[in-house]
Amino acid sequence: MSGDDQAAAKRKVLLCVLAFGTAAIVLPWVGPGPLSLGRVLQKQSPDGFIFLQLRLTRTLLALFAGGGLSLGGTLFQAVLRDSLATPYTLGVSTGASFGAVIIICLGWQTIWGIPATWVGALAGAFLVLVVVMSAAARNRHISTFGLLLTGIAVNSVCSSFILLFYSLAGVTRSFSISRWLIGSVDATSYTSLGVFVLVVTVTAYFVIAQASGWNLLSVDEQWAASRGVNVQSLVVKGYVSGSVLTAAAIALTGPIGFVGLIVPHIVRARISSDHRILMPCAFLLGGTLLALCDALGRVVLAPAEVPAGVTLALLGGPYLVWLVRERI
Amino acid sequence: MKPLLKAQGISFSFPGRIVLEDVSFEAREGEFIALMGCNGAGKSTLMDMIVRLREPSRGQVLLRGKPLSEWRSDQLSHEVSHLPQSVRTDLPYTVEQLVLMGRYPHRTSWFDSPEDVEAAKIAMQRTSCWQDRRRRFFTLSGGERQRVLLAACLAQQSRLLLWDEPSVFLDIDQQLSCFQLLKEEAADGKLCIAVTHDINLALTYCSRLLVVSNHKLVVDIATGEARHQPGWLGFLSPRLELGTGPNGNPWVWYQ
Repeated sequence: MSGDDQAAAKRKVLLCVLAFGTAAIVLPWVGPGPLSLGRVLQKQSPDGFIFLQLRLTRTLLALFAGGGLSLGGTLFQAVLRDSLATPYTLGVSTGASFGAVIIICLGWQTIWGIPATWVGALAGAFLVLVVVMSAAARNRHISTFGLLLTGIAVNSVCSSFILLFYSLAGVTRSFSISRWLIGSVDATSYTSLGVFVLVVTVTAYFVIAQASGWNLLSVDEQWAASRGVNVQSLVVKGYVSGSVLTAAAIALTGPIGFVGLIVPHIVRARISSDHRILMPCAFLLGGTLLALCDALGRVVLAPAEVPAGVTLALLGGPYLVWLVRERI
Repeated sequence: MKPLLKAQGISFSFPGRIVLEDVSFEAREGEFIALMGCNGAGKSTLMDMIVRLREPSRGQVLLRGKPLSEWRSDQLSHEVSHLPQSVRTDLPYTVEQLVLMGRYPHRTSWFDSPEDVEAAKIAMQRTSCWQDRRRRFFTLSGGERQRVLLAACLAQQSRLLLWDEPSVFLDIDQQLSCFQLLKEEAADGKLCIAVTHDINLALTYCSRLLVVSNHKLVVDIATGEARHQPGWLGFLSPRLELGTGPNGNPWVWYQ
C-alpha cells in the first residue's frame, strides 16, 4: 500500500470511527417517546431513567455486539476461506442457543446473580468449541476443512436438540424459546455491559492486531506458511477468538446472525479487502448498523418493537443481493 | 562453496502409498535446477518438504547446514520463497495487495514501508503485471494470475526460490521471460529450483536437471552433460529424442 493509499485507508477508518461515535451519541435519543435533554442531564424521572438505564445501555450493547459479530464473520471468512462463512458456521452460535434453550426449559432465572440464559449460552458455546476442536484435530494438526465439516455437523445436532426441546416444552416456555431465538437487543445492567465491552474490545484488538496474517491465511494455508505464518497457531487463535466474540454477543442478544455475513461483504466491496482496513471497519460499521437497526425497530411500529435482527435482515438482505448483482 | 540446501535420504509416504524414497541431493547458490518427472512422481511433494509444508517420514533437509525442523517460521520465510502449484482464483485482493503479501517476512510496521512498496513495484515490473496493479485478482486471466504470484514470490527477496510449475498458464513469450528471470536470479547468487514439464526450457535456461521417477531421484545431471547423454529422457517419455536446434543448441523432439 503506497503512501497515498495508506492516507486514504486511514481516512476511511476514521470515518467509520465517526459513524460509530455518532451512533453512540445520537441513537439513545431515538425511541417511541421524545426525551428532554434537561431532564436527562438532571437525571429526572422518567427521562433520565429511560435514557441512562434503558436506551444508552441498549445502544452500547448493540454497538459492541454488532461489532463483535461482524468482526467474527470477517474472521471466519478468512480462516475458512469461505465467503459464506458467518459466526454461526462452526456451530458456536447454535451451541450457545442450545445452552440458553436448556436454561429456559429448566425455568432458571439467575445463576450466581447472573441471568441464567447468559450462563447457559456461554456454557453451550464453550462446549461446542471444545467438541469441534477435538474432533477436527488429528495428529496435532487442525485442518480448516475438518473444522468446517465438524462445525456443520455439530450445528445440525444442536439445531435438532433445540427443535426437540422446543416441541417438548410447554406453551409459555416455547414462546420464551422462540422469543430468545429471534434475537434482540435489550437494556442490560452496566456491570454486565462493562464486562461484555471489555471482553469484546480485548478480543477484537487481539484479532485485528494479526490482520496481515489473516490476509495470507485467506489466500491459502501453504501460501501463508511459506511466508512465515505459523498456520496451526493462527487457525486455533482465529477459531477461539471468533468463538469468544460470537458467544459473548449471543449470550446477551440471542442469535442475530446476518450482521456477520452482510457487513464484511459490504466493507470488502466498498472499502477494502485488506484485513488491516477491513477488520476495523467491519467492527465499527457492524456495530453502527446493528445499533441503527435497533433504533429503527423501536420507532417504526411503535409502541410495538421490531427485533434488531429482523430489521437488519429486511434492510440488509435486499442490499446484499443488489451489491452481488452490481459486482458480478 | 558450502551447499545452501541438502536433502539427506528423505522419504515420504501417504498411508498405503510410497511417494518418495531415499532422495538425496545438494544444491548451491547460483544454481538453477529443473525438477522434472511424470505426473504423480513426487516433485511437488519434494518441494513441499524442502519448504517444510510436509515432514519427511525419514531423512532430513538441511538449509545452510541446519535441519529445517530447527528453523523458526519467520526465519525460514526470509530464506525460502515458494510458489505453490495453484491458489484460489476468486481472491478479492488487488494485484498490488497480493504482491505486497510477499513482503510479510520483512514487515516491521502495520502498513507497508516504502521499501516494501518499492520491492513490490520492481517485482511487478519484472513479471509484467505492474499495469494491472489496481485490478482485482479474480478478474485476471490464468496467465495474468500466474505472473502476479511470481511477483509475490520475487518480492519476498529470499535466497532460495522454489517454484512449482512457474510457467503454467503463461504464453510462450512469458514462459521465456519467466525462465530468463529465474536465470538472472541464479546469476545474482540465488538458488532457483523450478518444477517443469518443458524439457526445452529446462535445457535452455537451467544449469542442472533432476528427474524423479518411481519414487526415487533417478537423474541428477548438469545440463551440459545431459546434452550428450540422452538416456535420462526415457524416464520422462519413450517418445522423446534429443537433437539439435537451428542455433546448435540441444533440442528435444517428440515422435
